[in-house]
Amino acid sequence: MASQRDVKSKIGSVKNIQKITRAMEMVAAARLRRAEQRIAALRPYANAIRRMTRQAAQAAGGAESARVPLLAEHESESAVAVLLVTGDRGLAGAFNSQVIRAGVRMAGELGQEGLRSSWYATGRRGVSSLSFRGYELEGSYVGFSDRPSYADARTIADDLMTAYVDGRVDRVEMVYNAYISPLRQTVTHERLLPLTKATIVGEEPSDGEEVEEETRSHAAVEYEPDPEQILRRLLPDYVEISVYRALVESTAGFFGAQMTAMRSASDNAGEIITELTLQMNRARQAEITQEIMEVVAGAEGLR
Amino acid sequence: MAHTKFPVEVLTPEGEVFNEEVEMLSTHTALGSIGILANHEPVLALLEPTELRLYRSESEIVRFAQAEGYLQFTENRALVLVEEAIAPDQLDRATLETRLRDARSSLEQAQEGSERQARARRDIRRYEAFLAVGQ
Repeated sequence: MASQRDVKSKIGSVKNIQKITRAMEMVAAARLRRAEQRIAALRPYANAIRRMTRQAAQAAGGAESARVPLLAEHESESAVAVLLVTGDRGLAGAFNSQVIRAGVRMAGELGQEGLRSSWYATGRRGVSSLSFRGYELEGSYVGFSDRPSYADARTIADDLMTAYVDGRVDRVEMVYNAYISPLRQTVTHERLLPLTKATIVGEEPSDGEEVEEETRSHAAVEYEPDPEQILRRLLPDYVEISVYRALVESTAGFFGAQMTAMRSASDNAGEIITELTLQMNRARQAEITQEIMEVVAGAEGLR
Repeated sequence: MAHTKFPVEVLTPEGEVFNEEVEMLSTHTALGSIGILANHEPVLALLEPTELRLYRSESEIVRFAQAEGYLQFTENRALVLVEEAIAPDQLDRATLETRLRDARSSLEQAQEGSERQARARRDIRRYEAFLAVGQ
């Protein structure tokens, strides 16, 4: 049986671990709030872009009339770009591994259809895990998963769009952790390219009021330059916004997952401490009993 | 003489950077520079990287280094959507210069007529404009 002192030092170290996990939990909670604000900050911009696109598309006579490479499906598919969005750091439960697993599974399915996967990854975890498994990365983006900026998303989106337009890949898929709530992230697949009309124009506004307002504002709008060129420039923004949204949602999801993981680590540490304290008390009791028995035995011997 | 004021909202993907009433807004569209006063006719324009100037009054001007984006003016309200809008004193010259160098070397490697070439050119325009604003 472990001596009293051994157990005591073990309790000390578990308590230290608990202090660290508690601190990490609180840091993650604070960062989660900031990440949530960034998700909220994107919404007005994304909505305004969508409204503007609808207006430009109407003025240009429908999105189909614009011959934009990002909208054009390639005639035959041979390569698919797969973008995995992970975090730079671990200690967040299954957060990173579930994205990597989903991505690898997807590549397997694509392989069965005779399609080659071309890998892109953000976050050190995804990059190192993929290279460890022997996949060659076309693009790796690290160092910003705690606080992704729009410029980061733009770099990634640019690489993907360039690969698509220049014909190196025929489709672009993205796998990331979508942020549902601090306690929930779901692995989500999203097709980035080719863009579909549905993603761009979205559902038609349901309430008649908005439609009316929009048609009225179209009345005599001056376009600089013509609506088709404006539309052409708006389309890449969708890819950028999608990538940016995935990055910020993944960041929020990461801190949520880390918060949960650290909370259960702290709880586990608490349980271990209780158990060890019990063990220590038992050891102390055993020592006392032992001593009493020795004293009694000694007294008996003197009689 | 004081001009009539109108509301201007400047939005970026990372949040709102400006939302106030101004007398005049001046920026650069794909076709040339543009100045907007109250009651301007409705317009939807592509913006080029440049210095965005928002005149609270003739002497009080708020300035931003503005990336590519869009300007919408309807019903006497201006909406400026840009990827980046940075106050001149927040510009980081060193980073911009590195990015400009990267974009230039990417342009050299890019094939004629490729998407990569087009994007490198666009980046160069943006960083050059930002550096000019910072001066």
